[in-house]
Amino acid sequence: MAYSFPEEVLEYVFAFLSSDKDRNAVSLVCKSWYEIERWCRRRVFIGNCYAVSPQIVIRRFPEVRAVKIKGKPHFADFNLVPERWGAYVYPWISAMARSYPWLEEIKLKRMVVTDESLELISKSFKNFKVLMLSSCEGFTTDGLSSIAANCRNLRELDLRESDVEDLSGHWLSHFPDNFTSLVSLNMSCLGSEVSFSALERLVSRCPNLKTLRLNRAVPVEKLASLLRRAPQLVEFGTGAYSTEIRTDIFSNLVGAFSGCKHLKSLSGFWDVVPAYLPAMYCVCSRITSLNLSYATVQSPDLVELISQCPNLKCLWVLDYIEDAGLKALSSYCKDLQELRVFPSDPYSAEPNVSLTEQGLVTVSAGCPKLQSVLYFCRQMSNAALVAIARNRPNLIRFRLCIIEPQAPDYLTLEPLDTGFGAIVEHCKELRRLSLSGLLTDRVFEYIGTHAKKLEMLSIAFAGDSDLGLHYVLSGCESLRKLEIRDCPFGDKALLANAAKLETMRSLWMSSCSVSYGACKLLGQKMPNLNVEVIDERGPPDSRPKTCPVEKLYVYRTVAGPRADKPDFVWTMDEDGALRLS
Amino acid sequence: MNLQLELALSSNLDEGFDLNDRNEERQEENSRLMKRKRSFDETFEEIKSVQVPQTLSLLDHIDLCDEEDRVVGWPPINSWRKKICHHHQNRRGRNTIMNYVTVENGGRDGGERSGGRSNFTYVKVKMEGVGIARKVDLSRHHSYQTLIETLMAMFDNEKVQGYKLTYQDKEGDWLLAGDMPWETFINSVQRLKLLRNGH
Repeated sequence: MAYSFPEEVLEYVFAFLSSDKDRNAVSLVCKSWYEIERWCRRRVFIGNCYAVSPQIVIRRFPEVRAVKIKGKPHFADFNLVPERWGAYVYPWISAMARSYPWLEEIKLKRMVVTDESLELISKSFKNFKVLMLSSCEGFTTDGLSSIAANCRNLRELDLRESDVEDLSGHWLSHFPDNFTSLVSLNMSCLGSEVSFSALERLVSRCPNLKTLRLNRAVPVEKLASLLRRAPQLVEFGTGAYSTEIRTDIFSNLVGAFSGCKHLKSLSGFWDVVPAYLPAMYCVCSRITSLNLSYATVQSPDLVELISQCPNLKCLWVLDYIEDAGLKALSSYCKDLQELRVFPSDPYSAEPNVSLTEQGLVTVSAGCPKLQSVLYFCRQMSNAALVAIARNRPNLIRFRLCIIEPQAPDYLTLEPLDTGFGAIVEHCKELRRLSLSGLLTDRVFEYIGTHAKKLEMLSIAFAGDSDLGLHYVLSGCESLRKLEIRDCPFGDKALLANAAKLETMRSLWMSSCSVSYGACKLLGQKMPNLNVEVIDERGPPDSRPKTCPVEKLYVYRTVAGPRADKPDFVWTMDEDGALRLS
Repeated sequence: MNLQLELALSSNLDEGFDLNDRNEERQEENSRLMKRKRSFDETFEEIKSVQVPQTLSLLDHIDLCDEEDRVVGWPPINSWRKKICHHHQNRRGRNTIMNYVTVENGGRDGGERSGGRSNFTYVKVKMEGVGIARKVDLSRHHSYQTLIETLMAMFDNEKVQGYKLTYQDKEGDWLLAGDMPWETFINSVQRLKLLRNGH
């Protein structure tokens, strides 16, 4: 033994390590450090629920207090993953109910959660505090009733963007009268009206409530009452912000907002009536985060609001803001770090607003701290992308969606290879990139050469040949997630870079040219990967081996092929035979 | 099945839509976008031979609103945003077809326009098996009878009799037309579809 620190000391030191990377490094030092560390790891992040089994996790880390699990691939958000694909959380809950009685936190993303799971959570963990269900589905408001009724120490209930079957608003009334521990409630995704008096009483008796995101059914005239009961709020999401203008409602709202000295984040604003926006002006100077992406407000009203928010760090907005509004943003909000501009009319061939590449260029020039961008627009040029890259080499996330697939540089009609090439060349810390527009293999050569810190790449309708995919797989050293749709990438690049796939979390390819034969070969060669073919046309071996598969999902795993596959998913097994579940 | 991706370079990004490709029964929706876009003149040549009643114009407001015409999962917005977009589409579509380029304040303020019937109430009509959709101005009709008569004039007279009329309501559900009073119907209808009997 090289040293004689008692275990307790090491454990005390390890407690200061919060990052998984550090803890994993510590575990590799020697057997005794591995042992000490695993007994004191309290938080586990599982990026792919099929990469590991609940049993393996529980066996290694017996004293976990918080889990975060992700399920479906990202492209499930855009309906590319068929229903019944999987990502069921119940096996996890059931295993943890037996082994982690002191579990406090469960955070799930893109998983299927049933009422049964929710009920089991509410009854199994006596000290349960945090439930976050992000883009989840499969449960109803009955499940929420169980949580409300049984989790006596609940602090956070966050349902962001989940698809909940809304049977009634009655679930909220299940919080007992002596329940006072709530810190955060996000029910913005629900449709039904909750009992307003129950909500008022809940808000009144929870002095630590910091986050309250209401759903659309809460009308404007009720907001003042809630705000007055929770002046300590830091994050607030309105309901529908529309009603006929009445001065009494308006002045009441102004009074209520002015009592909220700690508000930093605002969201909601469905069906906004612009005349009500000035009610918030008194809090704007402290606002750092503004989500107006559901607000159908025109540019002048947006500018009026934004011009009062000099401390704004994060803005989500619809393209109604237009280039003019973005220009104002760039001059008023010098602290801006994140900008997301969503399309108000994504399915129209014609632009309905005057938002172009110019808006983004202006913001990139005027906001020195800008690091995260998501931008939907209808035209782009290499010149603009080069300008953005030169202006903002500190970009970390750059996601550009030019609405028309394969749209070229609108000025020169060339592909946008040079533009995106400039992005990856100048932005050396880039971790996430989404491409769009007309792109040849050349852009992938640039990405493979320069994007050394890139962790996630999304590609659609791009490239000419396998060479494109090869550049990415062989060049991007930090790549963890690659998702591709409708690109002419096939077998060669995939098979040549098979080993790379074991260093990544996952690869998604749909409507590409990967043959069934290649998938089988990949599955045979790589036992540590699950090579899953998704094909709704029926068994892949009812078609020629050269026939391309509809969708392919490849991920590394220590849990072997999954046992819960639906009838349209096949795992390419190592012995070459098809395995249905 | 080999995906042939041809570069759809064109000098006019506003060329719009290849009307003849709107056949619902085609299987490869995605590869439609891969085909070379046709010029305005080529497109117009082909449809000149189709009898078009005076009441409507095929060439206005061509958009990808109709879900069957879209590429799956593109643009990449999640279902939450789609719901908002659909909501906006309905509010806009009912009010104007000619001038949708600038968003008017009048259409946005005041929240829902409950019960208010505007002057322009064009809805899309699709007939199962027919590639090209039409539009009909509901405000010119006062009963199911007159609507059916217009549809018979628009499509093949005899054929329409072998079909049943369905409509999509505000919630996105498809229902059989005729069950509810005309007033209720026109306040909730978003689009029409003629389905073959026996489906």
